[in-house]
Amino acid sequence: MFCEKAMELVRELHRAPEGQLPAFNEDGLRQVLEEMKALYEQNQSDVYDRLLRIRALRWEYGSVLPNALRFHMSAEEMEWFNHYKKSLATYMRSLGKDGGLDITQDMKPPKSLYIEVRCLKDYGEFEVDDGTSVLLKKNSQHFLPRWKCEQLVRQGILEHVLS
Amino acid sequence: MFVSDFRKEFYEVVQNQRVLLFVASDVDALCACKILQALFQCDHVQYTLVPVSGWQELETAFLEHKEQFHYFILINCGANVDLLDILQPDEDAIFFVCDTHRPVNVVNVYNDTQIKLLIKLDDDLEVPAYDDIFRDEEEDDEHSGDESDNGSEPSAKRTRLEEEIVAQTMKRRKRREWESRRRDILFDYEQYEYHGTSSAMVMFDLAWMMSKDLNDMLWWAIVGLTDQWVQDKITQMKYVIDVGILQRHVSRHNHRNEDEENSLSVDCTRISFEYDLRLALYQHWSLHDSLCNTCYTAARFKLWSVHGQKRLQEFLADVGLPLKQVKQKFQSMDVSLKENLQEMIEESANKFGMKDMRIQTFSIHFGFKHKFLASDVVFATMSLMESPEKDGSGTDSFIQALDSLSRSNLDKLYHGLELAKKQLRATQQIIASCLCTNLVISQGPFLYCSLMEGTPDIVLFSKPASLSLLSRHLLKSFVYSTKNRRCKLLPLVMTAPLSVEQGTVTVVGIPPETDSSDRKNFFGRAFEKAAEGTNSRTLHNHFDLSVIELKAEDRSKFLDALVSLLS
Repeated sequence: MFCEKAMELVRELHRAPEGQLPAFNEDGLRQVLEEMKALYEQNQSDVYDRLLRIRALRWEYGSVLPNALRFHMSAEEMEWFNHYKKSLATYMRSLGKDGGLDITQDMKPPKSLYIEVRCLKDYGEFEVDDGTSVLLKKNSQHFLPRWKCEQLVRQGILEHVLS
Repeated sequence: MFVSDFRKEFYEVVQNQRVLLFVASDVDALCACKILQALFQCDHVQYTLVPVSGWQELETAFLEHKEQFHYFILINCGANVDLLDILQPDEDAIFFVCDTHRPVNVVNVYNDTQIKLLIKLDDDLEVPAYDDIFRDEEEDDEHSGDESDNGSEPSAKRTRLEEEIVAQTMKRRKRREWESRRRDILFDYEQYEYHGTSSAMVMFDLAWMMSKDLNDMLWWAIVGLTDQWVQDKITQMKYVIDVGILQRHVSRHNHRNEDEENSLSVDCTRISFEYDLRLALYQHWSLHDSLCNTCYTAARFKLWSVHGQKRLQEFLADVGLPLKQVKQKFQSMDVSLKENLQEMIEESANKFGMKDMRIQTFSIHFGFKHKFLASDVVFATMSLMESPEKDGSGTDSFIQALDSLSRSNLDKLYHGLELAKKQLRATQQIIASCLCTNLVISQGPFLYCSLMEGTPDIVLFSKPASLSLLSRHLLKSFVYSTKNRRCKLLPLVMTAPLSVEQGTVTVVGIPPETDSSDRKNFFGRAFEKAAEGTNSRTLHNHFDLSVIELKAEDRSKFLDALVSLLS
């Protein structure tokens, strides 16, 4: 049980009558400090794990996170996320010639400009290049530019059909 | 209007646009769709594919998507009705219709702007002339205006008035004659439904014209044509002609197999022309099962009777096949027996009165293990497409069937073959029970058979193609079972339960079975008239007008109306 040692030390001090200082329980104190360190480290790994997940979200959802997710994050995490976004953007801009290269597209080397996708669930309207939109209904198949579909494929709404 | 140059007036028009494809739920449409998809993927044409199984679905899907597209392609649906009337599209929507349903609706033929028919003009279309059906309305208005013209002198005016009156009555009479002639012409034209060239073949032709045809597309064209033959949609003559056309393409694509030195690796797809037995799925089944479950042999041997079973044994003995071998899986049969199997079976079949045991068809090989006849693929795909579904929407099975046509999804094809075996077995069992319990009765102008709710496997026959196939096979078997010469020439009306909750049945009309049948079906119009006349609650939802849904309670009055209509 954590904190028991710390409790014991505090109780000892409390039991001692006023004005008297009991012997400095070095051992006890060291143990408590060690416990504190262990707890701190565990918290660290938990926080680190959350950070890794937030980073993955950037790759999955793009630079704007849905509101639901934002509620789950603390203020510091939001700040960290914004920093990460900025560094990623700077890096991407520094790649390619003008404007940079969006590396969050094309997670696997692409084989063609357009891909055939099948809609797994009803999604609704989805905008395409020239401003018009496509209605994504369950089991309809579409042949669309690859980069438009990547996000939805990753979210599981569209399925890449290999023929 | 009919498109004359498919490439310029169709493909190049849609090449830079986004198109919406409506595909009907039959194997020929699936094959045409695969060919078109392959062409579009090659040229990066953005498209959306929506499966439709009936008019209602077509209308709903059209309403949902019409804001987003200007170009629509309909495959195996839409030619035989007034499309603009049903869909009510915007002025700038253009429809390309590739459909085997005939007769093509006259409005679709003569609309110059919005409807483009991807139909070859050498199909026997017999479209009535424009002047016989459409008439300028202005001609009559001119003359009614003349009445109020004032003449100079009264007497002159009177004679002129008399002349005008005479002229007018003549005009009215002529108009009435024209209208009645128009009604007759339209009635004759629209009376019989039939089918034209396979849509898959039309699409393959387009691909060939653009020099983009591949072996895969050729195979899909073959499957589309074979589907029409399996479902008796075209005459034997047309089938043979079309097989000849495809055979030329097959030799063009696959001639390297004959050359010993330059032949392709075994793993490549190879299509070859076959003059093979018409036993369904026999290479994936046992020969015995195939003989028992192919309608052609089951009907002629009369396998629902004990006598028939004995004849089958005699037949096998005549061919020289031991019963044990024949009941094994075909692939495990002795190689020595399989050697001249086709010729031996054909010879014995001739002795037993079956002259057409072998038919011209094609087969495809992938590697050593996978070999399929075109009819195998047709049965497999049909079973996949019509397999009963858990959630009720037709689109899941459509997608499965579409996938199974791809070379990389052979496991789905094999699954389809298993479903097809079940379907064929269930078909023969139902036929046997119908014939043994005399469920096929003569109503006068037609035969009638009604399947009851509790019939085993009845759920496999709730969709139109399976039910039509069952009905056709039943009619063929009935013709062989009955001694009544008049009954042999009658058509058949079949009903099967569709939905228990809604109390509906599916009604199918099959034309009479004759040797030289031209496969023309008059039941579409007959059903419409009978339903109107009796106010029965019917749903003419299927693209084939000879298949309708009916409320079970209205069944008897509907049938009575049909009887009086056709007598």
